[in-house]
Amino acid sequence: MIGWSGRRKAFTVLLFVGPTLLGILLLNVFPILLSTYVSFTNRNKFHPNPDCSVVLTSVLDPVCWPMFQGRAGRGLAEPYSLQTPLFQNYIDLVGKLFTVEAVQALLLILICFLPLMIAALLNRYWERKITRPVSASTLWLFGLGGGLLLAFALNANAAYQQLLTTGDFFVVVWRTILFVVARVPLSFGLGLVLALILNSSHLPGRTFFRVILFLPWATSSLAILMALVWQFFFREQGVINQVLRIIGFDGYAWLSDPVTAFAAIVITDVWFSYPFFMVVILGALQSVPNDVYEAADVEGASWWTQLTRITLPLIRPAILPATVLTSITAFQMFGTAWAITQGGPTRGAGVPGATEFVIVYAYKQIYQSQNYGSASAFAVILFLFLFAATLYSLRYTRITKGAYE
Amino acid sequence: MNRKPSPRVMVLMYVILILAALFAFYPVWFAILASGRLGDRLYTLNLGGMFFPTEWTWENYRIMLVEKPLLNWIRNSLYVAIVTSIASLLISTSAAFAVSRFRFYGREVMLIFLLAIQTFPGVLALVAVAQILTALGLYRTHEGLILAYTIGTLVFATWNMKGYFDTIPIDLEEAAMIDGCGPVQSFIRIALPLALPALAVTALLGFMAGWGDFIFASVLIPAPDSMKLAVPGLFSLANDQSVPWGYFAAGGMIIVLPTLIVFLALQRFLIGGLTAGGVK
Repeated sequence: MIGWSGRRKAFTVLLFVGPTLLGILLLNVFPILLSTYVSFTNRNKFHPNPDCSVVLTSVLDPVCWPMFQGRAGRGLAEPYSLQTPLFQNYIDLVGKLFTVEAVQALLLILICFLPLMIAALLNRYWERKITRPVSASTLWLFGLGGGLLLAFALNANAAYQQLLTTGDFFVVVWRTILFVVARVPLSFGLGLVLALILNSSHLPGRTFFRVILFLPWATSSLAILMALVWQFFFREQGVINQVLRIIGFDGYAWLSDPVTAFAAIVITDVWFSYPFFMVVILGALQSVPNDVYEAADVEGASWWTQLTRITLPLIRPAILPATVLTSITAFQMFGTAWAITQGGPTRGAGVPGATEFVIVYAYKQIYQSQNYGSASAFAVILFLFLFAATLYSLRYTRITKGAYE
Repeated sequence: MNRKPSPRVMVLMYVILILAALFAFYPVWFAILASGRLGDRLYTLNLGGMFFPTEWTWENYRIMLVEKPLLNWIRNSLYVAIVTSIASLLISTSAAFAVSRFRFYGREVMLIFLLAIQTFPGVLALVAVAQILTALGLYRTHEGLILAYTIGTLVFATWNMKGYFDTIPIDLEEAAMIDGCGPVQSFIRIALPLALPALAVTALLGFMAGWGDFIFASVLIPAPDSMKLAVPGLFSLANDQSVPWGYFAAGGMIIVLPTLIVFLALQRFLIGGLTAGGVK
């Protein structure tokens, strides 16, 4: 490993990573290239076919490839072509976000997050010092308080309302961010607590609980069925309301209220996703050697200190990728919201509903309206956005470092 | 944390476990109850029926097992899921080992690149994936589906394995190399057995990807009936006039069983102490 280099090393490395790279190129990278190309065209239900005499189309669209000929019939409708101007799909989607008022509003809202960012920076700075003047939680509280004060002082609500008028894009993305922020920590927390308990070897019935708590993930093959079961819980005649009536409360139309409908989706999705965290963390916990806890016991460290100073830092490299990737999948959540609310409740036709998250919105675009061009543009913007967020989180958490660094 | 906890902590742990188990189990129990009810409704408005089997019948199970081709679909699914699981293990583990242990040009770029391309929405790439598989002649074959699933799990599997390899002390392999092992040999003889818990998680992930998916399976294998996988097959029983919820629930319970068996088999490997005492 250290020490040998040259052609033999290159060969070994290629042998190890080659298959992965090849697969990713074939079924991940190429679809992205094709979708990016389509996002500049007017491909929709009236222009579904490629025009193979255009060079770029004939290279990128598999329908034009020689090996495709004879394997699938070709429709007779008009071929799609590049939009004029080229960025038309993008302008339709996010054009209004770039007016002077909208940019001002966006900047104003960003300023409100400044105190939190400063708190995060200071925390990172003090992390490496032996003594620190202020504890981490106080710092976060100050950051949060400062942010709220700024929001009041600068009238962030007006800016937010201003942004809401710029079209569907901002509304849908903002809602999805809220969803991710609510859902990922909840399922992580639940998964962590359960994994810590289930890892204890002095726990009669451990296997029983492991299996029962794994159940929601096992039923993910029946996601549609289970999401509909959950929908029934929240219905007007559903389980929750019936039980509430017995205790003497009135029922409530949970799925017609934007806030509770949102909460219902979060709860259901936590139910679906916490076992994944539980299993990954349970796996990661196995690499923590026992003797460090013995040493900590000798030093008199409390349970909480052991958790935050030993367990979490030691399993960090193993669980961070899961967290980052789950945030990405949460951002792209589709099935749960589609089965439970279909994106509703809405305030009117043509307005995205309270639970219309990005993929629900894109799905409606692509399969109900068959606007491939416009939906691809949407996907590309999302991709750029998530790409940037992922890069940032990778830098921030430094998980790309290998065993040697 | 392998000391015996105090009684108070034990009580607290069981309270949390039982509450979580109720949360986890009740929706499944609700579906089980629906599977024993005749008629095409998933729901009952009868309060007792929401918690106890008031009108239980095995009729739905009998129809799913005897009259419908569910067992055939399950066989297809088993084939796809097991091959996906093995392929994903083989490919991702070797990539993860290289990324964790070797320092080579472009290593970090590759890791970031893997994660970043995963951010492209899968539903929107599906049309392109179907076109590529058609061009390769793999459309409407189980092998095409296996290819799509395996590649779909690669990113997470690689990252997860890499994270686990990072937590295994490298000194063990260095010792092996001093004793004359090459990198491949030290990978197979030393690192792999130590990574058993992570291998179990990765295998589970591959199996679940092949077993549980609905969208890819229904788009890539739309017909014929005998080729279908369990989940799309089950949902194809619905038509415009009626949705047979009793069948769905009963078939669903049968489909979940193999997943539970796989989990039961793999969770034994989620045990600690494999590296204990290896480095002093």
